[in-house]
Amino acid sequence: MADILKVEGLSFRYPDSPKNAVSDFELSIPEGEIVVLAGPSGCGKSTLLRTVNGLIPHMYGGEYSGDVLVAGSSVKRSSMRDLAQTVGFLFQNPENQIFMFSVERDVAFGLENLGVPREEMRARVDEALRLLRIGDLAQRAPHELSDGQKQRVALAGVLAMRPKLVILDEPTSLLDPKTASELVALVARLRKELGTTFVVVEHRLDLLVGVADRLVVMDGGRKVLEGTPRDVLFRDEAEAHGVAVPAVTKVQKLLAERETGRAAAGRLLTPSGLASAVEGRQA
Amino acid sequence: MMWLSGGFIFRRGDSFYHRLDPRAKLLNSVLMFVTTLLARSIFEMVLVIVFMVGLSAAATVLKRVARTMAFTALFSGFIFVVNVLFTRDLETSVLYAIRFIAIVVSTSIFFITTSPDELEQVMKMFRLPRDVVFAFVTAVRFIPVMMLDTIQIMDAQKSRGLELEKGNLIRRVRNMIPILIPLVVNSVVRSGELAEAMEARAYGAVPRPTSLLVYRARRADVGVVCAAVALFAIAAYSFYFVVPVRFP
Repeated sequence: MADILKVEGLSFRYPDSPKNAVSDFELSIPEGEIVVLAGPSGCGKSTLLRTVNGLIPHMYGGEYSGDVLVAGSSVKRSSMRDLAQTVGFLFQNPENQIFMFSVERDVAFGLENLGVPREEMRARVDEALRLLRIGDLAQRAPHELSDGQKQRVALAGVLAMRPKLVILDEPTSLLDPKTASELVALVARLRKELGTTFVVVEHRLDLLVGVADRLVVMDGGRKVLEGTPRDVLFRDEAEAHGVAVPAVTKVQKLLAERETGRAAAGRLLTPSGLASAVEGRQA
Repeated sequence: MMWLSGGFIFRRGDSFYHRLDPRAKLLNSVLMFVTTLLARSIFEMVLVIVFMVGLSAAATVLKRVARTMAFTALFSGFIFVVNVLFTRDLETSVLYAIRFIAIVVSTSIFFITTSPDELEQVMKMFRLPRDVVFAFVTAVRFIPVMMLDTIQIMDAQKSRGLELEKGNLIRRVRNMIPILIPLVVNSVVRSGELAEAMEARAYGAVPRPTSLLVYRARRADVGVVCAAVALFAIAAYSFYFVVPVRFP
């Protein structure tokens, strides 16, 4: 499949900063993948995300070299208007991306801005509400919603614009464990139903490794590791770069070191995988 | 302060008046406002107030309107005293004092029965620039968020030993600085994030954005507008062109 996102030798430095926030970055993401971006705070993840939907360079000044291509066209040369329709961006704090007094009007916000005719807008808003299963919240005001609900409302507003690529910036940071795993399940479902590509910045990797196709680790503005979550997490460098290696993976590595875990086939990422491997060995 | 704001902040209601077209509600409040200016005797003014109280009761917001009236009574007491001192005319002074309450109530009825959504529609109708309307919308949208922020900051500063309720007036005002600075900083950060989110949702992409909701006047709205205009005509005629009606 064609690459929905291609980052070519990208470097970016903020105006008052002595060093690059992102350096010589290369990345290609085929359509329909779920890619997780990990790395310590301040490693340039947020900056990289902002170059994808055009906030950099359109809203922030700075030294920009290289190129970012979204669905084949250069972000530098695309307008924010066009980018907003291809790239959806769910920011970290859902509170600060809900503008209107009712859920359905907020979901319609982007479509109103694009001048979508009312009938079509109605259909797209209802579709987004249905996809996120929040139809019953349509008339609620933002302050009547829980954090998890706000997150889903904000995501509905993003999806109503029918983006091909959706960026989620630490989407679970404000959510309790149950709501967080619901969000991850939702991402997997949307990818399946709509074929949407997701780029997710996330620290809680154990939640996402089950659904992600690829894991990219950044450190100091550079890409340091890339591969399937299985490959990346079993490398010793992963932890050195500040990646939260899931407990299951650590257990298996320990067992492998003691040469007792060889029976546990493959590389394990999820508790259920570990459980069945252990059962298999005992049988 | 919170108690006072109750008289102007919308809360969802389900009376016939809440369901009216916002334009009808606006016109109604404007007409009531003008009527209070036309009333020339205490009797006429009391009639206007009785009408507004009846309307508030029908709109199930009487309690909150009464709260507004109680609060404004403080100011109108002040107006009364100043007027008595300067005009030495008791009737005029009472009239002015009641008129002030009536004016506040007429606007208060509009604000407590009109949702921010409807207010936005009214602003759009007056063809205010989109940026102005949007600034208003976000301001109202973030009132509850900022209130929560303030409470959190107050708790945080109190737990660090800040004593808000201590000292004389100047001291107390100075005590607010450690609350205000984080609040302002928070808001600046928040506005930056809002701006990014607006860009990501194509704000300003087309000069004439469309709207999900439309307000169409229904028969009930037309009926209310006709009744309001008729009533206003009668009141205006009798208050202004006929000799002031006084208590019998």
